[in-house]
Amino acid sequence: MTAGDGVRSLRLDDFDVDGAVRDTFEVMQCHTRSIFLRRTAGAGLAALGAVAAWPSEASAAATSDTAILNFALALEYLQASFYTEAERIGALHGALKQQADVVGGHERAHVKAFRQLLGSKAIKEPTFNFHGVTESADTFRTTAVAFEDLAAAAYKGQAPLIKSRSYLAGALAIHSVEARHAAWIRRLAGFLPAAKAFDEPLDAHEVVNIVNSTHFVTLQDPTTSSQTSPNFTG
Amino acid sequence: MPPFDSTEGDRPRVSSHLSRGTLLKGSIAGLGALAGAAVGTTELAASPDAHGSAATDKEILTFGLLIERLQAAFYAEALRSAHLTGEVHQFAQVVGGQEQEHAKFLESALGSAAGNSPHFKFGDAVTDPAKFLATAISLEETGLGVYNGQGVNLTPASLAAAAKIVSVEARHTAWARALAGKLPAPVAVDATVSVTRAKQTFQPFIAS
Repeated sequence: MTAGDGVRSLRLDDFDVDGAVRDTFEVMQCHTRSIFLRRTAGAGLAALGAVAAWPSEASAAATSDTAILNFALALEYLQASFYTEAERIGALHGALKQQADVVGGHERAHVKAFRQLLGSKAIKEPTFNFHGVTESADTFRTTAVAFEDLAAAAYKGQAPLIKSRSYLAGALAIHSVEARHAAWIRRLAGFLPAAKAFDEPLDAHEVVNIVNSTHFVTLQDPTTSSQTSPNFTG
Repeated sequence: MPPFDSTEGDRPRVSSHLSRGTLLKGSIAGLGALAGAAVGTTELAASPDAHGSAATDKEILTFGLLIERLQAAFYAEALRSAHLTGEVHQFAQVVGGQEQEHAKFLESALGSAAGNSPHFKFGDAVTDPAKFLATAISLEETGLGVYNGQGVNLTPASLAAAAKIVSVEARHTAWARALAGKLPAPVAVDATVSVTRAKQTFQPFIAS
């Protein structure tokens, strides 16, 4: 497959090495798309929280822990790559640079942990293109706020679906670290670190739609077989 | 709120249930695995499943209510007595209001099982601004650690509800730490706090 033919958006299939998630999420919620960068600057993910839906009974029954861990791994890849690129470009200074260094280290540790847990079932790292948002303090801050609020909401949506007690313990311990990251960067961006008494979850297809709306992710080497029908092409 | 089944007649047995070593060992193993210990893929299907019961939910959420009531009272008293200014004042006001909302949410979920709040005594933690911040960090870190440790013992529905509070507690913790000049997120994977240790931390503040 050539790179030109292969470039496509992230799909839920990509996390679903066993095929368990694929049939469960069939409805796209297009109204959550493109909100990511436009609205998050002022309101965090409040706007997105309002449209969040609880995972259905069907998805709870069908989602495997492996798919959930791969979903988490994909989010960690995205964040780790973002902070690593920001560090490499070197446009950040002072408190913002410290945030990027420390948080980037955490996200890379999360990637490593999930890859070790998943072993040969781990999805490959996608190719990212951050379209220059890592090149200035302003765009870095805005994007980091959106990423961290998104990650906390994503872990919150997945945690109740995890079947293994030990994986759940690990996911919860990372969920709260993502929330700390969110509070940290929100404060540096001039937003209230804790804007509401209750944080809302986002389910997997909402998270994927939001990530796709950024066009930060392109997959050139699909991990699932080509006979899979492309249900989720963003 | 369907997640919380406040079955009448269940005796409060918080300490006996929540301190069961086997349950905590499960979560520690998970943390160790995610923190980087080598785990083969064959273990993906071998871990014991998460379960939980209505009775256990009630015990855990009753302790969560104590945490929220203690924190809400702490911030309310500090706002009255500590002469807080600037962002520290804003922190106490915003966070205090959110702790009150958490307490109300848990009271409503627990129904008659919620019981009355104990009385609290905070001494100079609510009059001395420096002690206020150190105590805020201690109470927030402890509350967060308990929620994280007990999350694996909740039913999925109660976990989903509690998780909406947990990340807000994590935000409070990070904010308090930033105000004290500490790293808001010092580690990649948050540690848990046992109920026994939390009780020791809270003990000096409980008057009756």
